[in-house]
Amino acid sequence: MTHVLVPVAVLEGEAVSPGLMNLLGTVDVTVLGYHVLPEQTPPDQARLQYEDHATDALEDLTDEFRTAGGAADSRLVFTHNREQTVERVADEIGANALAISGPTGDVEQVLVSLSGDVAVERILSFVTELVGDRDIGVTLFLVTDEEATTQRLESAAERLRRDGISVRTTVVASDSPFEALIDEVPGHDAVIMGEKAPSFRSLVFGEESDRVASASVGPVLVVRSAETLDT
Amino acid sequence: MSDQPTGTNIEGDAPVVETVVETDEATVTDDAELERTLGLVGGLAIGVGTMIGAGIFVFPGLAGAEVGTAATVSFAVSGVVALLVALPTSELATAMPKSGGGYYFISRGLGTLAGTVVGLSLWLGLVFATAFYLVGLGFYALDALAMVGVSVGASSGVVVSALAVLSGIGFTVLNVTGTENAAKLQNGIVALLLSMLVAFLAFGMFDVLGVIGTKPSGGTEADQWAALPILSTAALVFTSYLGFAQVATVAGEMKRPGRNLPVAMIGSVVIVTVMYVLTIFVATSVFDRGQLGQFGETAMVEVGRELLGVGGAFIIIVGGLLATMSSANASILSTSRAIYGVSKDALLPRWASRINLRYGTPHVALGMAGGPIIVLAATREVQLLAEVASFLHLIMYGLICVALVAIRRDEPEWYDPAFRVPGGPAIPVVGAVSSFGLIAFMDPRSIAVGAVVILATAGWYLYYARDVKLRGVL
Repeated sequence: MTHVLVPVAVLEGEAVSPGLMNLLGTVDVTVLGYHVLPEQTPPDQARLQYEDHATDALEDLTDEFRTAGGAADSRLVFTHNREQTVERVADEIGANALAISGPTGDVEQVLVSLSGDVAVERILSFVTELVGDRDIGVTLFLVTDEEATTQRLESAAERLRRDGISVRTTVVASDSPFEALIDEVPGHDAVIMGEKAPSFRSLVFGEESDRVASASVGPVLVVRSAETLDT
Repeated sequence: MSDQPTGTNIEGDAPVVETVVETDEATVTDDAELERTLGLVGGLAIGVGTMIGAGIFVFPGLAGAEVGTAATVSFAVSGVVALLVALPTSELATAMPKSGGGYYFISRGLGTLAGTVVGLSLWLGLVFATAFYLVGLGFYALDALAMVGVSVGASSGVVVSALAVLSGIGFTVLNVTGTENAAKLQNGIVALLLSMLVAFLAFGMFDVLGVIGTKPSGGTEADQWAALPILSTAALVFTSYLGFAQVATVAGEMKRPGRNLPVAMIGSVVIVTVMYVLTIFVATSVFDRGQLGQFGETAMVEVGRELLGVGGAFIIIVGGLLATMSSANASILSTSRAIYGVSKDALLPRWASRINLRYGTPHVALGMAGGPIIVLAATREVQLLAEVASFLHLIMYGLICVALVAIRRDEPEWYDPAFRVPGGPAIPVVGAVSSFGLIAFMDPRSIAVGAVVILATAGWYLYYARDVKLRGVL
């Protein structure tokens, strides 16, 4: 079963939009409630003070996910390091994708980015599972100027259509894949993209998926690559 | 997994104890997980960063004035004592990777009275140590002012106090309001400091070894190669080694504790011992006892000036400021964890470990660290502060060794350390004897102050927490 990890800063009142909950109604969800502490504070000390409050909030959230349709459970972690915690829990539950929460209404059209060195096969199977037999349109998006890769996009679209999904394709030639993707977001309710290996850019500017989430002001689903699942 | 604690303190609170599962990456409790986020480098940075300040930048003048080049032996003796304690501490820490460090082992191994005494004197010992680092910082800041041409004239003592108090307030406020990247900053400072020192020492060693035989060293006052002054100097400089056990206070946050805790503790002791011995050798070869005595707390600046001119003095001043800052900052962090450890076990009021809602930091515990630190720093009593800090830590170190012997004798079911000290009881017994033994060589005034603190903590136990039972409770 496809499994999605939804990290939520549970004590900072971070909410998950109903649109994202409904979108994830076809998959198993683990809600990861986390609370990041300054290093002066032992996580255990924060737990003594906040655990009850955090557990209540997390249970409410998990119930809402169940109401939206899918199986859902939750984990609560007190940590100094958000990335490390998300990675660890994602590995432990074998998550196929991570959700970066963002406001959205009912999801009618999702934007799927296949640009760059991403695991296309994994992204397509995830999209198939996620959309299921629902009436959600998919836009496959690729930034490239090579003919060969354009054909790859067409065969990907063909595969999704065989599963009964309504697919559009968009190819853009651009020097800046990130800007091109953001420009494409209007008209879509969520973005699905692949996890990329850490690069110099991601060290300086932060993970691309996080930047997409903040620039697009909507939810982003990041499909994890096979390498990170194996290790 | 273990016995339940019994009894409550005078306010009716019982220790908070529950069954947890420790993994390499997290502590898993019934409803929540606690991420382990400190790696080996972070652990070494805490150990080395806490220790490296005092030993190199404050003591060469004071110790060199006592015994000259023989101070290298004093530092080596202290280093060996520290190593003898670091080994048992590592074993206990891998069996009980929890916040609170030495306090935790002793309360579980030897019971509530010993636990309370150690828990509270760990807090107060760190307070004395931090005050000592801050006074060192004050002296270096004074030299830095002098270097840029600001002269304070006759009132230099007052200025040192003022600088120490101001930086004490600064660190406390900084820790309460919290910056996310303080750990990375600490790692960076330690790395910078180590590379500066290695370069400086390499140059110093070549120079000193080359100088021998070609021209006589600075003065003529002879070194003191006698056991008693060497040991009493060792007792003084032992403060330079208070830091490896601070690694154990963050044991609950260390990744792969079974490997990283022993390596970080033992590794940091070995690293700093080598650095200290070389530094003292260079310093006491450049100047004799009389000259070092005149230079006092910032004698290393003069050593730098002698070896490398103004540039050398500048390097040492910058290094001294960084080192005393990192020592003070790391100690304030450990202090708040020490307070949390005893407060969780109902030996201090529960409000002592409250967390500030705005910053998410333990402001009460940080205040209980910062307040007394500022008062003590104002006294400017370098030797007294250093020795009382050592006294209180040595009591804990000795008891850690005793606790190891006691726990091994009972070998409770839950006791499963990833690291075991080889050689049966030999190392912990020698560690305990030498820890307690070193106290005897201290200044009587320091022993008196230390004893008063210990008696006060025992009194607190009788008044506040007589009915709390912690022995064997994991």
